[in-house]
Amino acid sequence: MSTPTPGAPLLSVRDLTVVVRGAQGQRALLSRVSLDLGKGEILGLVGESGSGKSLFCRSLVQLLPSRALAVTGGTAVMAGRDLLSLSEADMGALRGAKIGMIFQNPSSHLDPVMRVGDQIAEGLMFHRKLGRKAAKAEAIAIMTQVGFTDPARQFASYPHEFSGGMRQRAMIAVALACDPDILIADEPTTALDVTIQAQILKLLMDLRDQRGLSIILITHDLGVVAQTCDRIAVMRQGELVEQGPKRDLLARPQHPYTQALIASHPSMDEAAPTEPPAPPAPPRRPLMEIDDLHVRYPVSGGLFGRRRSFSAVAGVSLRIMPGETVGIVGESGSGKSTLARAMLGLAPISDGHVSFDGDSLRLKRDATLAKMRRQAAMVFQDPFNSLNARLTIGETLAEVLRVQGKVARAAIPARVEELLRLVELDPGLAGRRPRQLSGGQCQRAGIARALAVEPRLIVADECVAALDVTIQAQIVDLFRRLVATMDLTLVFIAHDLAIVRHLCERVVVMHHGRIVEEGACAEVFEHPREAYTAALIAAIPDIDPDRPLHAPPAGALTA
Amino acid sequence: MHRYSFILTRPLQFVPVVFGVSLITFILVRMIPGDPARVLLGARATPTAIANIRAQYGLDEPLWLQYVYFLRNLAHGEMGTSIVYKIDVLRLIATRIEPTFALVLCSVLLSILIAVPLAALAARNQGRPVDHAIRIVSTFGIGFPPFWLGLMLMMLLAVRFPLFPVSGYGDTLGEKLLHLALPSLTIALSLSTVLLRSLRAAMVDWLKSDVATAARARGMPEHIVFWRHVLPNSIAPSINLLAVNIGWLIGGTVVIESIFAVPGMGQLLVRAIFSRDYMVVQGVAMVFACATVLVNFLADIATVFVDPRVKL
Repeated sequence: MSTPTPGAPLLSVRDLTVVVRGAQGQRALLSRVSLDLGKGEILGLVGESGSGKSLFCRSLVQLLPSRALAVTGGTAVMAGRDLLSLSEADMGALRGAKIGMIFQNPSSHLDPVMRVGDQIAEGLMFHRKLGRKAAKAEAIAIMTQVGFTDPARQFASYPHEFSGGMRQRAMIAVALACDPDILIADEPTTALDVTIQAQILKLLMDLRDQRGLSIILITHDLGVVAQTCDRIAVMRQGELVEQGPKRDLLARPQHPYTQALIASHPSMDEAAPTEPPAPPAPPRRPLMEIDDLHVRYPVSGGLFGRRRSFSAVAGVSLRIMPGETVGIVGESGSGKSTLARAMLGLAPISDGHVSFDGDSLRLKRDATLAKMRRQAAMVFQDPFNSLNARLTIGETLAEVLRVQGKVARAAIPARVEELLRLVELDPGLAGRRPRQLSGGQCQRAGIARALAVEPRLIVADECVAALDVTIQAQIVDLFRRLVATMDLTLVFIAHDLAIVRHLCERVVVMHHGRIVEEGACAEVFEHPREAYTAALIAAIPDIDPDRPLHAPPAGALTA
Repeated sequence: MHRYSFILTRPLQFVPVVFGVSLITFILVRMIPGDPARVLLGARATPTAIANIRAQYGLDEPLWLQYVYFLRNLAHGEMGTSIVYKIDVLRLIATRIEPTFALVLCSVLLSILIAVPLAALAARNQGRPVDHAIRIVSTFGIGFPPFWLGLMLMMLLAVRFPLFPVSGYGDTLGEKLLHLALPSLTIALSLSTVLLRSLRAAMVDWLKSDVATAARARGMPEHIVFWRHVLPNSIAPSINLLAVNIGWLIGGTVVIESIFAVPGMGQLLVRAIFSRDYMVVQGVAMVFACATVLVNFLADIATVFVDPRVKL
C-alpha cells in the first residue's frame, strides 16, 4: 500500500457552509467543515444518514440536490482554483474530467436505455474530444481494468443485463473514464452483498495504487473504513466532529460520538450473550416445521412460449422449536426472504410442506392461515413503506387490535400505549404518521404492530438493513430484550452476519435456494464447515485494520 | 428467445381476437332497430317486394345461419354486398381507407410535433411562467370538444383568412394534404394535450432522477443530459397512451370526417348506419377493430425498441 505523498494537499476545503432556505428562514446543513485530501489518499467520511456527508461531496461539484440549498461560505481549493466559485461551464469541464463520482445505487444511476459502453464513452467524447472509435477502444480498455471479463461484448450490454456488483464496476468505469484526480464514492458498496463489497473495495484500493487516485469514501460502515482508508473524518449533524489517521482514530476516539459509533459497530467477536444452560426441556413439538419446501416462479411463458421456472427455494427442511431465535443469512438471491414469506403463507408453496404448530399450510391452508394470522407476525425491511402512510401509528396499532379482537374495544387505547412503551417509543408519538418519524422510530412502530398480535412467532425480514448502525444496535437490543422477557420465537433474516451472531442462538446459511450449513451460532461462526460460509465470514470488513479483508475472486461464489 | 420474436408469434393471437370482434359486430348490427329492406324500398313498398329483397340478401334466414354465411364469406375475403351501393363491401371500403388512414397519420404526426417540444420546454422550466402557460393552454385543449374546435378553425382559417379549403378531399398529394390540414389540426390540438401532460410529467421525474444526476456528475451539459438521457427514458410510458388514444381516434374520425366532408370510412359508416346497410356497418366496424389491434401491436414493437428491458 502506498503512503500519501507529503506536500500540499490536492484538495483543501475550508469552512464549507451550506444552508437550506425555507419558509422559516434558513438552517445550516453543513457548518464550517474543513478537510484536506492528499494525493493518492483514501479519506473515509463517516456519519449517519442526515449527517451531511453526501451533501459535503455534492457541494464540491456544485450538484446540490435541491434549489432550496445554497453554499453560503467557505472555499474548496483544487489546483489553485476555488471549486465553489467556478462558473457552471468551468465546473462542467471539471466534473468527470478531474473529479469522478460513483453512487450507492448503480442500478438507478446508470441510464437503463443506453448501452453501458456508450455511457463510459460519453465522457471521453465530451471531455477529451475523442472520436467514436477511439472512445470505444478507450472505454473497452477501462472496462478491462475494472474487471469486466469480456469487455468487447459487454460494451454493447445494457445495465439490466448485469449483476449489482458488475453495475457498480460499470459505474466506476464511467467515473474513471477521463482519468480524474479525485474519485468521490458515495456509499459505493452499501447496496451490495458482503462478498461483492469486498471485491469492489479491493478494486478501489488497486486503482488508487495504480493511478495515484485520491478517493473520498463516504460510508456508514466503520468496518469498510477500517479496511480501506488512510484517514477518517467523522461527521454529525452537519459538523465535522473528529478527523485523523485511521489507526489513531479507531484506537483512541476523542469525541463521544465517535466512541458511540465504534461501540455500536457489530463485531464478529461478540457472540450472543450466552444464557445459563436451560434445564433439559421435555421434548416439544416444533412450532414451525418446514419439510422439503420448494418455491418456484415462472420465468417465461405467455400464450405460446415454453414455460420455465426459477427455483427461489429449492428443497429446504427446517424445524424451529418454540422459544428459539434463528438467524437466516445469505447473499441477495439466496432465497432467504422467499423462505420467510413462504413460512407465513405469503409466497406460493410449489412443493413440500410448511407446518405451523402441527397444522400443514398445504393440507389445511385456510384453517392454518387463520390460526397463523393470530399467532405469527412479520416485521419488514422498509419501515416507511410497510406502514400505511395515511394512518397514524396509533390508528395502525388499533386496527390490528380491532381485527384480532383479543382486546376489548374500550381497552384498545391503553393497549396501544402499552405496546408503544414495550418497543420503547414515547406514547405521545401515537398521533404521528410514518413520514413524521425517523427510520428507527418507524421500525419500532413496525415491531409494535407485530407484537399487537401477541404472536408466538415473529419473522423479521432484513428489518435493520435500512437503518444507521447506532439505530441498528438499538433495534437488535430491543429484539433481544423482547425475546428474553416474552414467550417469543424469532426468525431473523439478515445479510449482515455480525448482527445475526449478536442476536441468534442458531443460524442457517442459505445459498441458491438451499441450506448450505446450519447449527449453533457460535459453532458455525467459529468453525464453519462449508467453504461458502467461511468465505462469507472472511469478506466482512472488520473494524480492526490489521485484519485484512479477504476478497473472494470475482465469480468464485456465484458459480 | 430473441426479444423481437414476438413480432412473429403475436399475430397468431389476432385470430381469436378477430373472431370475437366479428361475432360482436354481427350481433350489435342486428340489434339496430329498423328493417334494411324497408329503408331500401321506401315507406310505401309492398310486402311482396320487401319479402323478395329480404330473400335476396339472406335476411329471412335464422340469425345463426346468417352468421355462418358471414364467416364463410369472410374466409373468402368477402364481406357481402352493400344494400345501398350495390357493390362488394370490401371494395367499397378499400376506396375509403386512404383518406381515413392519411387523416389519422397526419393527426398523430402533428400532435407529436406539437407535444414533444412543448413538453420539453415546460419540463426544463418547471415552475416558471413558461411551464404554467403551457399547462394552462393544454388544460383548455382538453376542455374544448373537437367538433366545436373544428368549426372554429374552419371559420378562422378557411373562411375569415382563406388559407385552407373549407372541406372535401383532393386528387393530387399536395391537394390532399392541403385538405387534410384543418381536420388534422383539429384532432392534433386535443390529442397533443394528452400526450403533452404525460410527457411533461415523465420528463420532470427523469430530470430529477439519479440517471440525470450521474450524467451531470460526469460533466454532461444540461442539453445533453436532457436530449440524450431524459428524453429517451420519458418516451416509453407515452407510447401506450398514444396507442390507446389512436384507438379512440379511429372511431373519432366519424365526427371529424362528417364536419370536414372527408370521404373516408367514418363518413361511410355514418351513412351506412342511417340507411341500415348492415353489410357496410359490419365491414367498417371490423376494419376499425382490426386497425386498433394493429396499432397496439405496433405500440408494443415500439416499446420493445425504445426500452431494452422490456420483454414480450
